[in-house]
Amino acid sequence: MKAPYSRILVYLDGSEGSMSAAMYAVLLARASGASLHAVYVVNTKAISDLVNARVFISSEKQEYLTDLRKDASRHLRHMEKLAASKDVDVTLESREGVPSAEVNSYIKDHGIDLLVLGSINVVRSRREELTSENDRMMRTAPCPVLVARDDDDLWEMFEEN
Amino acid sequence: MGLAETIKKELIINPLTSANRDSIIRDLVSRYASVSGISSDKAEEIVNSVRERELLGSTAMEKGIAIPHARINGLDEVAVVIGISRLPIDFGGEEKTRVFFLVLAPDERPQEHIQTLSSIARLCMSDVFVRMLTNARTPDEVYQLFFD
Repeated sequence: MKAPYSRILVYLDGSEGSMSAAMYAVLLARASGASLHAVYVVNTKAISDLVNARVFISSEKQEYLTDLRKDASRHLRHMEKLAASKDVDVTLESREGVPSAEVNSYIKDHGIDLLVLGSINVVRSRREELTSENDRMMRTAPCPVLVARDDDDLWEMFEEN
Repeated sequence: MGLAETIKKELIINPLTSANRDSIIRDLVSRYASVSGISSDKAEEIVNSVRERELLGSTAMEKGIAIPHARINGLDEVAVVIGISRLPIDFGGEEKTRVFFLVLAPDERPQEHIQTLSSIARLCMSDVFVRMLTNARTPDEVYQLFFD
């Protein structure tokens, strides 16, 4: 039976959870033959909001933008190495804006039919302001979503396969 | 990690009793130090980083909220210490401040730092939420406001 997806997208945000998601996505792509995409989104909206709220001064805005862009490059490079280690090709992209909106836009632009995310928060609060970008993506993605749990088994599975 | 994961009852000080900016920063960092078990040298480094950042421009914003913050090398995860003062304190902003969120983030995780700061700033846009925070009398009452 053919897998019910042919284009996988994994969202990277620099967290350990997103690295687990990256490994799981690589294994899925290799097992199914689906094409693999990875996107990192520099959250420029949050930075602008912090400047407007006067939590950030302008030099801080620039410093964080620079660091987040470096973070994006570093994690995309790491993703490339993970995929290469399993002989899987991956399309990498760094975007800027609101992460959930950019990921949804990428899904539509590239016909993605499976989104892989790292850990989703335990629901401890109903307050929308406490919702993480991963939670938002899971709720709003226009395609099926797979949540890869960040645990040791996954790391071992990646090493063994 | 989102803001909800960083809110811990033992990292809430209510009431804060210090009366000036430097003492407030020191009280918030001391609470973090005692809960996390970091060394006194590390705590001093954090106090200095937060103080230096405040000197560049106060993080006191509207509605009597301030979000002092720093990125610290060697931290394991983002931490938020909340302090509520009964009296408005001059924290260097246009308005005096009663609610303090100290945000400390590992140097290498700028994305999580931004997300935490941004969640706090968004929460504090609500007049009702801020009023409830300033009216809270105990750490428990503050904690419940985030999770009710």
